[in-house]
Amino acid sequence: MARLSGLVTASALALAAAIAPASAQEALHVAWYGGNWGDAFKACVADPFTKATGVAVVPEVGTSTVTLAKLQQQKDAPTIDVAWMDGGVSELAEAAGVLAPITEKGVPNLKDALPQAVYTNANGTYAVGTGYYSLGLTYNTKEIPQAPTSWNDLWKPEYADAVTIPSPANSSGVPFLFFLHKIWNAPAGDFAPVFAKIKELKPALFFDSSGAASNAFQSSEAIIGAHFNVGAFDLIAKGLPIGFTVPKEGVWATDARLHLVKNAPRPEMAQKFIDTALTPAASQCLAEKLFLGPSVKGVTVSPETAAKLPWGAKGSVENLYLLNWTEVNAKRAELVDTWNREIAR
Amino acid sequence: MTAPRTTLALLLFAPLAFFAAFFLAPMAVVALSSLTTDEGGPTFAHYARILFDQYHWDVLWVTFRIALATTALCLLIGFPLAWYLVRIVRWRSWRRACVILIVVPLFTSNIVRSFGWMVLLGRTGLVNQGLMGMGLTERPIRFLGTETGILIGMVYILMPFVVLSVGNALAKIDTALEDASADLGVGPARTFWFVTLPLCLPGAVSGAIMVFALAVSAYVTPALLSGGQITVFSMLIFQQYSSVFDFHYGGALSVTLLVLTLILVTLAGRIGERGRRAA
Repeated sequence: MARLSGLVTASALALAAAIAPASAQEALHVAWYGGNWGDAFKACVADPFTKATGVAVVPEVGTSTVTLAKLQQQKDAPTIDVAWMDGGVSELAEAAGVLAPITEKGVPNLKDALPQAVYTNANGTYAVGTGYYSLGLTYNTKEIPQAPTSWNDLWKPEYADAVTIPSPANSSGVPFLFFLHKIWNAPAGDFAPVFAKIKELKPALFFDSSGAASNAFQSSEAIIGAHFNVGAFDLIAKGLPIGFTVPKEGVWATDARLHLVKNAPRPEMAQKFIDTALTPAASQCLAEKLFLGPSVKGVTVSPETAAKLPWGAKGSVENLYLLNWTEVNAKRAELVDTWNREIAR
Repeated sequence: MTAPRTTLALLLFAPLAFFAAFFLAPMAVVALSSLTTDEGGPTFAHYARILFDQYHWDVLWVTFRIALATTALCLLIGFPLAWYLVRIVRWRSWRRACVILIVVPLFTSNIVRSFGWMVLLGRTGLVNQGLMGMGLTERPIRFLGTETGILIGMVYILMPFVVLSVGNALAKIDTALEDASADLGVGPARTFWFVTLPLCLPGAVSGAIMVFALAVSAYVTPALLSGGQITVFSMLIFQQYSSVFDFHYGGALSVTLLVLTLILVTLAGRIGERGRRAA
């Protein structure tokens, strides 16, 4: 019996240990994404930060949405200090009141960020971009030797059943509808022409995750369609016959942004971390590793990397179609619902 | 010897606390959000929106149709497989190898296995190459984005549950009962029908219930193999949580699916119970 109670005590202790904060108080808690994104954030920002300050960084891995959910849950007593979230979710986080303003006083490098990458409202700067990525025209170079020049090429009969575009379950799905609405000059607020045209499209699949898109291009299930520059150049690096191009209408793009959490337990270090992310070295590193378009002024990258940036070899941030996310978020539910009823059945 | 009550209570406390923290609490959060507005007031509006809209019933019908077909196919294929393992295989190591072959895929993530099927079932995939190579079809058959594609993936992923539960029931049957039936002059077919089958019905029903419940709530397999062109209910739920951020409507969708599934599973359980009594 003693052995049994011992077991119970041990498991109770283990449970308590699992629930209690596991790491030392000193470490900075940063929310970022999984996979190669997290690896790049660690190598480009967290490691140099730890080297300079001696403060360890504890990653809180999750997608932007999951991070926002965590921040809302711990609103009263946050454990996360700094959070990476994508455009769109960033605005929702600000609306949820979980962010603290980023100031030049705390983050001196803020002045070196591109003006487009500094997101400010009446409360101050709530987010700062750390790099752009785009949803460009991706194609199989074996099947399509000549780079397509227009998004309208997706409707060509020879590509029937081999086209892919994002579904609304993907973070780029609803923004892509706004992008099509814009390049086709549809009447303001009316998405009926956009849905009518998508109904005519003969898709192989509507991808719900970036991985599904990569898989489709890899297996030639899709030979043309939309894909993120990050994912497309990953496939190209693996030696697959894939091309990524910015067609004449341009591309939709967004960015991974850094946020300072309201009532963060370690505000000093949190600001120092954001400052590190806004150094030219960090921005260049993210460009080399994830092909993120630098959001810091005057960053130069190697010619090889330059071709892989979201705006293509010769473009700049001016070539990107960046959305007004407040507008998108307001129409999100309605567009997803219409998509479900019109397209996905 | 009776165990002291305190020890028992302590032993029960850990699993109960675990259950409450990781199952009941999240469930309560979902149920609560499905019954409240953004401002926190009580409402049934989210349920009304679902139940009074033909679209949701259409999606539910697709979902249950796929789940029922998955269950039927799993039983049809799984039963003979279980029979082979329990009754026909005589060599122990081979039986063990077969069981491992059936169980090992369960250790691999659903996502990986569904991606595997995407590659196999694609336009240029192995299945279409084989069919065209044998001259069975001129053009590649479309599997991805069809219910057939989803069904193939689901049956593959969920079949082990039927094989294991039916196999277990078959192994427990006292073969003397079958011998007695034969002694009384009944042929093998009627013996199977009136003796063996009723005895393994409870195993088959519990396997079928597991498969059905998992098939109704499956997300990854249908999401990947539908290519976004067929919608099942779990995909509607995922959309609300992942890209629309309407946790109220999403919660109501979740509870709707849960309640309807529970009703169907209870009905199936009744049938299993009747089968057992008849046996």
